[in-house]
Amino acid sequence: MIDILKGLFGNKKGVIQSPIEGKAVPISTVSDPTFGEEILGKGIAIQPAKGRVVSPVDGTVALMFDTKHAVSIVSDDGAEILIHIGLDTVKLKGKHFTAHAKADDKVKAGDLLLEFDIDKIAAEGYDVIAPVIICNTSDYATIDTVTGKNVKERDRIMVLKK
Amino acid sequence: MQEVRHVINDELGLHARPAGLLVKTAGAFGCMIKVRNAAKEVDAKRIMGVMGLGAKQGDEVMFTFEGEDEVDAAETVAKFLQENL
Repeated sequence: MIDILKGLFGNKKGVIQSPIEGKAVPISTVSDPTFGEEILGKGIAIQPAKGRVVSPVDGTVALMFDTKHAVSIVSDDGAEILIHIGLDTVKLKGKHFTAHAKADDKVKAGDLLLEFDIDKIAAEGYDVIAPVIICNTSDYATIDTVTGKNVKERDRIMVLKK
Repeated sequence: MQEVRHVINDELGLHARPAGLLVKTAGAFGCMIKVRNAAKEVDAKRIMGVMGLGAKQGDEVMFTFEGEDEVDAAETVAKFLQENL
């Protein structure tokens, strides 16, 4: 029953579900100014508890980075979402990341996109925090965020309104 | 119309951070700015487009500028590319 309700949420316009289980925190707390100063757009960050990334919306994978540390999805209603695992993790060149989707794949909210090894990434000295960014922020009048609490995959973390 | 060509020097390519800074730089101008590589052409003011180029070290990217402030925009973007990419 709960799964059915969550499935309905997935189709709701402007709703972004959590792609990762962990603690949702304000994007301003991310030490990398690319994210903390919202250069890529507004959003939130998740301190991951589990090394899994699922699609936050029904949509299409726009880009799976070669280095697999980031993935972007365009929702069926036009939201451009970037999920970036860790800071500076582009330098790992794919190590500790496993891709489960590729560009142009159609996905449903909750479909597995990526897996990553939190402990190994942290052991190499990287901050594993995962910003979730709306790249086309300027297309929206408001972006409401849910932060300061633990979230499971598919919990509602943002609502976008035009 | 103005044109700027640049070969990416950054060993990590045009990844999220420089893409964000580039879009911010381009977004400050009113003129239309497009960027292309061998694969495609995108709007240089949209993050997803610029990241979607997947430009790597050694790749050449070409920018075109069209509009009132195209000269200023081309100069500023060229400077940004030299300093950051």
